[in-house]
Amino acid sequence: MDGSSPPRWIVALGSTATAGVREPIVVILLLIAVFTAISGRPVNGLLLAAVAVCLAWDNARSRRRVVIPAPDAAAGLTTAQPREPLIAARRRRPATAAVAAAGLVFAAVVGSFARYSWPATVSVIGLAAVVVAIGWRGPPRSRRDPGELRRRGTSLWAGLLVAAGLWELSALILQPGLDTTSSAHPTISALTDPLLTSHAGRSVALAVWIAAGWFLMRR
Amino acid sequence: MNSHDLTVFGYLLFLLAGVVLELLARRTRLRIPSLAAVLARAMRTRTGRVGVLVAWAWLGLHFFAG
Repeated sequence: MDGSSPPRWIVALGSTATAGVREPIVVILLLIAVFTAISGRPVNGLLLAAVAVCLAWDNARSRRRVVIPAPDAAAGLTTAQPREPLIAARRRRPATAAVAAAGLVFAAVVGSFARYSWPATVSVIGLAAVVVAIGWRGPPRSRRDPGELRRRGTSLWAGLLVAAGLWELSALILQPGLDTTSSAHPTISALTDPLLTSHAGRSVALAVWIAAGWFLMRR
Repeated sequence: MNSHDLTVFGYLLFLLAGVVLELLARRTRLRIPSLAAVLARAMRTRTGRVGVLVAWAWLGLHFFAG
């Protein structure tokens, strides 16, 4: 063992931090984690921070592992490969129906719990963790690569997302406090609060959230 | 129009803009990708894929988990 070289864990920590700083998504996740934690949701902030650190660690590990850099790896990216070959559509239909039914049952049951209660918290965090873990392994099936998109068209979507985010952020900042809603400057959360007071409202919102997760998982 | 109405109007405007962009992407020959194509492109890498899924997860946590 070379006495002058730093311990392996320090090297791993350094490479993880470097890989994290280089990856905008990791930085964005860490920022969201901080704001989530200081706005009164420390557990949610901690979970987001944990995912950000895992992504940074994974990027650092990929960089160390690469001998001949692939185009994506050279750009600091890890290409997600499909886990399985294309599954026959006939086999997918019952699975899709089962997932849809399970999603509806989940929405109906979890929607009956009060918001921010421990059963609702455990259920939602559990489902979110499963979906992110599945997504970590890659897409569940082969799908068509959209290829390079037109920068101008993509920037329209990016601009819209950033502008909407800034609009929401300005409403949040204009509130009396980060966790005190304002009628004059309502955030989306404040506007949706009345809809989520009833069992039906919560179940519909959960069903939409699950459907969005299913849609994203299949991208 | 008071500040409440103005704020809500802003949200509706962004929602409408999103719907218009999606319609332009799907119904015209303009070179605007659909939201699904943008997401698929963003999710080609593990970091992008996990990032988008965490954004989705955050929404559920924000509205339901304390």
